Amino acid sequence: MQTTIFTFTVLLLALIGFYMGRARAVSSVGGDIRQLHSLPRHYGYYVSLWCGLPTLFLFILWFIFEPQIINSLVLHNVTAINDETSSAMVARILSDIKFIAANGTNVKSATPEMIAAADHYLELKKIGIACLGVAVLAFAIVGLVIGNKNIGEKLKARDQVEKAIRVLLLASSIVAILTTIGIVSSLLFEAIRFFGKVPLSEFLFGLEWSPQIALRKDQVASQGSFGAVPIFAGTMLISFIAMCVAVPVGLLSAIYMSEYATPKVRGLGKPILEILAGIPTVVYGFFAALVVAPTIRNIGEGWGLEVASESALAAGLVMGIMIIPFVSSLSDDVIRAVPQALRDGSYALGGTKSETVLQVILPAALPGIVGGIMLAISRAIGETMIVVMAAGLSANLTANPLQAVTTATVQMVTLLVGDQEFDSPKTLAAFALGLVLFCVTLCLNVIALRVVAKYREKYD
Amino acid sequence: MKPMTKDNAVDIEKELNLSNGNVSKGVNSVKLSQDEVKISAKDVRVKYGEKEALFGINLDMPKGKVTSFIGPSGCGKSTFLRCLNRMNDTIDGCSVTGQIIVDEVDILSKQVDTVLLRAKIGMVFQKPNPFPKSIYDNVAYGPRLHGLATDKNELDEIVEISLEKVGLLKEVKDRLLEPGTGLSGGQQQRLCIARAIAVDPEILLMDEPCSALDPIATAKIEELIDELRGSYTIVIVTHSMQQAARVSQQTAFFHLGNLVEYGETEKIFTSPVDERTKGYITGRFG
Repeated sequence: MQTTIFTFTVLLLALIGFYMGRARAVSSVGGDIRQLHSLPRHYGYYVSLWCGLPTLFLFILWFIFEPQIINSLVLHNVTAINDETSSAMVARILSDIKFIAANGTNVKSATPEMIAAADHYLELKKIGIACLGVAVLAFAIVGLVIGNKNIGEKLKARDQVEKAIRVLLLASSIVAILTTIGIVSSLLFEAIRFFGKVPLSEFLFGLEWSPQIALRKDQVASQGSFGAVPIFAGTMLISFIAMCVAVPVGLLSAIYMSEYATPKVRGLGKPILEILAGIPTVVYGFFAALVVAPTIRNIGEGWGLEVASESALAAGLVMGIMIIPFVSSLSDDVIRAVPQALRDGSYALGGTKSETVLQVILPAALPGIVGGIMLAISRAIGETMIVVMAAGLSANLTANPLQAVTTATVQMVTLLVGDQEFDSPKTLAAFALGLVLFCVTLCLNVIALRVVAKYREKYD
Repeated sequence: MKPMTKDNAVDIEKELNLSNGNVSKGVNSVKLSQDEVKISAKDVRVKYGEKEALFGINLDMPKGKVTSFIGPSGCGKSTFLRCLNRMNDTIDGCSVTGQIIVDEVDILSKQVDTVLLRAKIGMVFQKPNPFPKSIYDNVAYGPRLHGLATDKNELDEIVEISLEKVGLLKEVKDRLLEPGTGLSGGQQQRLCIARAIAVDPEILLMDEPCSALDPIATAKIEELIDELRGSYTIVIVTHSMQQAARVSQQTAFFHLGNLVEYGETEKIFTSPVDERTKGYITGRFG
């Protein structure tokens, strides 16, 4: 609450700074703004930045260090903690203190010492906020004054503002990159912990997947086995079925849209096709589970085949439908990028439309199409919702599309949903699966982007 | 008749007192006997949507000779050339009326099969456009489409003869299986000509075939055109008046969608009748 007020105060000061800076710059040259080095608004931005940036920096530091400082001050007075207390115990005491502070004293764990600590905690919080308020206000005002004082005819405000913008953009990209690194490394470290409990060879080459493990020591359960082969086989099977649907339909529709359709049909057909891309995957999921899977089972029974109620075929078909717009719009782009001169060349030799498409346009566009298909495959492998709802959970090692299989994404969901203990192999297995999945899709994407980029060079 | 917009040209016309709304029918000093004529255009009009691009062209092109079309940009010379093998069919909203008689057949009629027509009338484009295939496959593309070779040996022979005719065989003999796009610009253009003559056409249409080439490659192509004359009836669109003078026997001057003057090349360049032709070839506009 208080921080919101502080934020608004700083913003208000920055706004005032903008007008002050601008007015000062204009008055410094007696109203003749042509004599200024930069535009008047640059001087305004300059003062605003002086007012806002140091304050922003202060805020960030505060949010990083405030909890740590307060925690250590509070725990310092708690006698139950000494050098030998485990870090888990410390964390537990700390959360108890915070719980008392938030919910009052009539809690089970409220010993007098804890209550005192909780009071201490609340008091420190109050002091902290007050300090923050004073510091923020001081920074903002000092910044405002310094910025304002620097303004004069000679100040190259535009250059300063450009520099600030550059730093801002740089900071944004760093945030994005750091986040990626953070995600990948958390995946990596958890996976390494998993491989400490289950050997890598068993995970990669084991044929049995049943991650049932006792969650508590008194529970009866098998040891569980973590052979990931059936899971990746299932992933591949479903992705393969999906590509069997998406590639022909997507490619042929792209050829129709780019080569045959009149502008009117194209203007109508393309957006409709792209609506497919806008449907949430969960909708595809229940379409697969409630419509496609029963239909396939009925048809299969009519032929005397045994079809599981959740089959790889149903999930694969629907996933394929989901990917059609992906394949078709990427292919459409590369087909249209083929120079008109090549078409003319073929037509002028008496080639018909289909001959031209088949023998000239597709070979010319092939690298781009392959790139698009690889992106689509990595999309299919990473798809979760459809397979969760339609493919089932049993990790069968089978190539029969009429049986239920499971995919890496489904297993990750089931391993992590619900109450889990975060150091059992069962939960850690999800990270290992995720790591393998990440590597596979990363490789596919890199190859795809390479292929597409190589193709682009040729015609631009 | 509304002249097409080309401001500077219109100004010159005013200066020359020629644009009174009724543009002259055009001077035609070429008199050909019935069997000398290969292509005969009668009142050919082209419209792109609502916009008229050609206003009734009458033109007889002689067999086994080179006819060149000259004129400023947007005058309709390329449009007319594209009528001669129905390439305008591939453009949406383009309509062609009138008659173009080739060997007693009106090629603009709906009954004419464009596949066969284009085998008979080949075309070479402004920018070399070899297919992203091997040199061999580029030349073999047409013969394969039309089933001109019964076996591999025959196809090899067609490819070899076509490349020989354009003088490319010696240069590419050892790399027939390398991509055609790897050749130099001039070689690519000769490859495209070889590709066109591989289907054994009677007429070759060339749409500014040298405008993307350097002078040496241009000289080679012009030499080639001269050699091919006699075996083929050649129609060439060019921006370069010198080129028209060098390679063609007949020259037609187009302006704002009209045929202004048509005659022996020498006559057009030495003693043009129409003031606009005079203005164009002396470099006063265009």
